[in-house]
Amino acid sequence: MPHVRTTRRGALGLGLAAALAFALPFVPLSAGAADADAEAFVDKIGEKVMDILRDGSLDRAGKLAKLRGLLDESTDLDLVARLVMGPTWRQASPEQQAAYTKAFRQLINKTMADRLGDYGGETFGVTGSREANERDTIVSTQIKRPGGQAPIAVDWRVRNTDGERRIIDIVAEGVSLVVSQRDEVASIVGQKGIDGLIQTMEARAKSDKPIETTQPLKQG
Amino acid sequence: MTEATAMRNAACAAALALGLGGCATAAADGDPFEPVNRAVFAFNQTADRYVIAPVARAYGHYVPEVAKQGARNVFSNLGEPFTFVNDVLQGEPDRAGETFSRFFVNSTLGLFGLFDMASMMKVAEAHDEDFGQTLAVWGVGDGPYLVLPILGPSNLRDAGGRVVGYATNPASALAGDVVGSGVGAGYAPTSLVYGGVDTRWQLDPLFTDVEKNSLDPYTTFRTTYQQNRAKEIRNGAEAPPNSSYEDIFEDTK
Repeated sequence: MPHVRTTRRGALGLGLAAALAFALPFVPLSAGAADADAEAFVDKIGEKVMDILRDGSLDRAGKLAKLRGLLDESTDLDLVARLVMGPTWRQASPEQQAAYTKAFRQLINKTMADRLGDYGGETFGVTGSREANERDTIVSTQIKRPGGQAPIAVDWRVRNTDGERRIIDIVAEGVSLVVSQRDEVASIVGQKGIDGLIQTMEARAKSDKPIETTQPLKQG
Repeated sequence: MTEATAMRNAACAAALALGLGGCATAAADGDPFEPVNRAVFAFNQTADRYVIAPVARAYGHYVPEVAKQGARNVFSNLGEPFTFVNDVLQGEPDRAGETFSRFFVNSTLGLFGLFDMASMMKVAEAHDEDFGQTLAVWGVGDGPYLVLPILGPSNLRDAGGRVVGYATNPASALAGDVVGSGVGAGYAPTSLVYGGVDTRWQLDPLFTDVEKNSLDPYTTFRTTYQQNRAKEIRNGAEAPPNSSYEDIFEDTK
């Protein structure tokens, strides 16, 4: 079912890849490393996720708390938040930046909670890596799904800052978390400004109701 | 070199003849029709809420999984000749060979496509090509983003490719979006024929997710379509290192 396979992949990439990737079990596939350390870094995160998901002593809330801890330590969420805001970041006041970053974290947490429980039987393995620039390595992984469904390709962008590695983007079937969120944020900023963005994000983090958006103001 | 240029020129001429965007090679031409697109999107959302989603969920809950999979396989198999033609048009002999083998094996051992024997026997995994992708390989740019009524996200090039797809492959009309061009367009509510309903059911978790977590569903669908489609056109290859994607990460520190 080529069509279904394709769209399903896209679905998984829908700006929610972080939450998704952090809730999938892990099985190492191969080495052949362009950057063995970065691959090992992603590998290790996968192992930890698997341990959490398989831990029968944890209830849903317990698993979620552990996954959040792992997300926090392995991902540079402040940098991701800033990248997502794009050029608008420099226009925002320090107070707005702080409020936005807080709302961004709340939203990631909510998304993760919604996504947890959608998984069963998937496995995950590193398939290779390549250098994107002097700081960043892209580690490629594959998520294998049960029932003969096509695997999903997930790339992790790992930034090395003075020897410390952290994830700064996750790309599922070509759909980047940072790019998707960036587009959404740009759209909201265009409609409602920075304060409107922060309010929208805060409301979003508290509610499951669809957000009604107005027409964007066309700028000549 | 000259051959490739000639091919591209021919493609541009064809694209112009079809009323497509011509030959802008820029990755994306943005969303100049956003107000109209948003109106169509709102219409699609309403159609989805009251008609398409309920039908798809009824199908999803009541039709046994084995029947769903069989139907998917049959429609997918009917689309293989179309994928084959586009593999050839894109100058991908290896992929064309895989598609041919799949169609042969699945049409015979797979009982007219009911079973995906080609995957089970590790002959070849399925992949899609459509005329929109072929035009892209030939150098036709995306053109402006479009939201089609009921069919959902597309762009000028892929919408034109879709017309060619329906005209040249009757199965695509029958199967809704399953094998039609503009493949990724199935993110949105699609036609009420089988492919659309099945796709909508498979995407139900996605739709729910967007409803619960997106800041702006219109933009979520647009960006997801554009990014996923770009990857399909590259056939999974990496984006060029100097892409606008890389620029995002140059921004910092």
